[in-house]
Amino acid sequence: MTTMLAGWLRPGRYFRRNVMIVTALSVVSFVWVYPFLWSIFSAFKSQREMFGAGAALLPEDWVFSNFPRAWEEANFSGYFANTVLYAVAATVIVLIATAMCGYVLARYRFPGRNLIYVTILATLFVPIASVILPQFNLIKALGLLNTREGVILALSGGGGLYVLLFTSFFSTIPEEIFDSAKIDGADFGQQFRLALPLAKPIIGTVVIFQFMSTWNEFNVPLIFTLSSPELRNLAVGMYAFQGEHATDWTGFAAGTVISIVPVLLVFFLFQGYFVRGLQGAVKG
Amino acid sequence: MTQIGLNRSTAVGVKSPRRRTRRKEIPYSQRVQGRNFLWVYAFLAPFLVLYIGFTLWPLLATVIYSFFDWNGSTPLTDFVGLENYITIARDQSFWLSFWNTLVFAALNTAIKLPLSLFIAILLTRRWMWFKRIFRTVFFAPLVIPVAMAGLIFTFLMNPAFGAINDAVEQFGLVERPINFLGADLALLSLTLVSVWQIFGQYMIYWMAALQNVPEELYEAASIDGATEWQKLVHVTIPIIRPVAIIILFLSFVNALKVFGLVVAMTGGGPGQTTYVVSYFIYSQAFQSLPFRYGYASAAAVLFGITVLIAVSMQGIFVRRASGEGGSGS
Repeated sequence: MTTMLAGWLRPGRYFRRNVMIVTALSVVSFVWVYPFLWSIFSAFKSQREMFGAGAALLPEDWVFSNFPRAWEEANFSGYFANTVLYAVAATVIVLIATAMCGYVLARYRFPGRNLIYVTILATLFVPIASVILPQFNLIKALGLLNTREGVILALSGGGGLYVLLFTSFFSTIPEEIFDSAKIDGADFGQQFRLALPLAKPIIGTVVIFQFMSTWNEFNVPLIFTLSSPELRNLAVGMYAFQGEHATDWTGFAAGTVISIVPVLLVFFLFQGYFVRGLQGAVKG
Repeated sequence: MTQIGLNRSTAVGVKSPRRRTRRKEIPYSQRVQGRNFLWVYAFLAPFLVLYIGFTLWPLLATVIYSFFDWNGSTPLTDFVGLENYITIARDQSFWLSFWNTLVFAALNTAIKLPLSLFIAILLTRRWMWFKRIFRTVFFAPLVIPVAMAGLIFTFLMNPAFGAINDAVEQFGLVERPINFLGADLALLSLTLVSVWQIFGQYMIYWMAALQNVPEELYEAASIDGATEWQKLVHVTIPIIRPVAIIILFLSFVNALKVFGLVVAMTGGGPGQTTYVVSYFIYSQAFQSLPFRYGYASAAAVLFGITVLIAVSMQGIFVRRASGEGGSGS
C-alpha cells in the first residue's frame, strides 16, 4: 500500500509505463468482464428490451420481477440448495482427505509410498476424455444413483493435484518443529494437528479450486440426475431451464446472477490465503 | 515433475530444498514402525478409497468395457475382443470428433498460454499498479458455470440481436453480422470462449511459476540495459521452463476434456463441426438407443492412447531440447 502510494506521488521511472499498461489493461478488462455486466444488467431488463438492447448495458426501465420468477417458478431455490450442499460437502471431504494423504506422504516412509506418489502424478496426465461411464456404474452398483450422496461421492473422487500440493508443502516444514512436540508426548494425530494450520495457504487454494469446480460442475450432476430433476445443481438446472423456457432470457440472467454471487463471496473470503499461497514471496 | 513445479511455488516464502535433498529429508527415524503403521494407512485411506473408486478404477474399467458389446444394464458377458475398435476405426464421426478435439485443445493452448504468461508477468511486477483489481478481473470468469457461460455467449454472439455483432457494427468494423456459431467459425468461437473462461487459472499457474524468478534479476538486467523482450527470453523463460512444460501438458490434457461448453453452445453442430470426443462418448453412451457403453469406452481408450503417445513423444523431445532430465519424484 505504501509503495503504491509512493509510486503515485512520485512519478518515477515506471510512471509512463504504468499509465500505458494500465490504460491498455483497463480496456481489455472491460471486454473481459463485459459478459458479467451484461448478465447482471440483463437480469433487470424486460424481455422486450433484452432482445432489442444490442450491446447497451443499462436497462431503460428497471425490472425486478426476474429474480422471484427464477427463484420460485424455475425452482432455482431448490437447485441453489443442492449446489451449496454438493459444493460444501465435496470441498470438505476432498480437503480433509488430500491434506491427510499429503501429510503422510511428506513425513513418513512406508511400503507403497512411491507407488502412490507416482500413480497420482501419472493420472494427472492421462488424457482420457471421459471416465463418466464407470463412475456412473460404480454409483449405480452402490445403489446411489439419483441420490445426493451419489453426486457428492462422485464429485469427491479427484484431487490428486491437491495431494501433491500438500505433500510438497509439508515436506518443507522443518522436522525440529515436531521434535519438541514428540518430547511432550504428542502422538501421530496431534502432530498432524500441529502441522495443519501451517498449511493455510494450501488449504485456501484447495478450498477455492475445489469449491469453484464443484459449484460449476456440469457432467456429473447432469448424468447422475438424469431421471431426478429435483437433484440438479444450478449449472444443470440452468441448462435445462434454457431448454424448457428458451425465450425467458431475463429469467436466465437472473439465475446466473444468483448462482455466481456465492462463488464470488468464497473467492473474496479466501482470496488472502489464496493469493498468498500462490504468490508467496512476490509481494503485492 | 508436477511436484517440483507447482508446489515449490506454493510454499509460501519458504525456500524449498533442492529436489535431490528432498528424499533424504525424511529422517531415518520416520520409517514407519509399529503402531504408526495403523495411523499412516488410516490417514491414507480416505483419499485412496475415493481416488481408486473415482479415478483409477474408471480408467481401468473403461479399458475393460471397451472389449465388450454392452448396453450398461445387462451383465457384462458379451466379449467381442477388438470388434468395437475395428468398428470405431471406420466410424467417420469418431475421427471427426477426434480431429475437432485436437484442434480445439491445440488452439486453446496456443492462444491461452502466451497471453496468460504475458498478463502474469505484468501482474507480478513490483512497479505495476492495481494488480489486485486486474487479477480479480481475469480470474472472474472462472466463477461462472461452464454451461452458463456457454449460454451467455450464445446470446452475445447471436447474429441478429447479439451484443458482439452490435458493437462491431457500431464501430463500422463489419458490413454484415458475423455468424460466430455458424459452420465456419463455431469451433474457433468455442475455443475463444473457453480461453476466456479458463484464463485466470493459467494466469495463476504462471504467477506461481514466476515466483521462482527473483525481482532482483530483473533489476540487474535493467541496469545492464536489457529490453523487456531480452529479460523475458534470457531471464524469465529459462527459470520457469520446467514448470512451463508441466503447465503446457496440464493445459492440453484438460482442454481435451471439453464438454459442457459444447453441450451448451453448439450441441456438436452445426453439422458436426464442433463434435468433440467427450460429446461423442456422451451421445453414444446416453443418447443412442440401445446405449452403447462398450463402443463409447473404446472411443475413450483409443483417443486416450493416441494422445498419450503423441504427448509423450513430444515430451521426450521437449525434455531433450531443454536438457532437463528431471524425473519427478
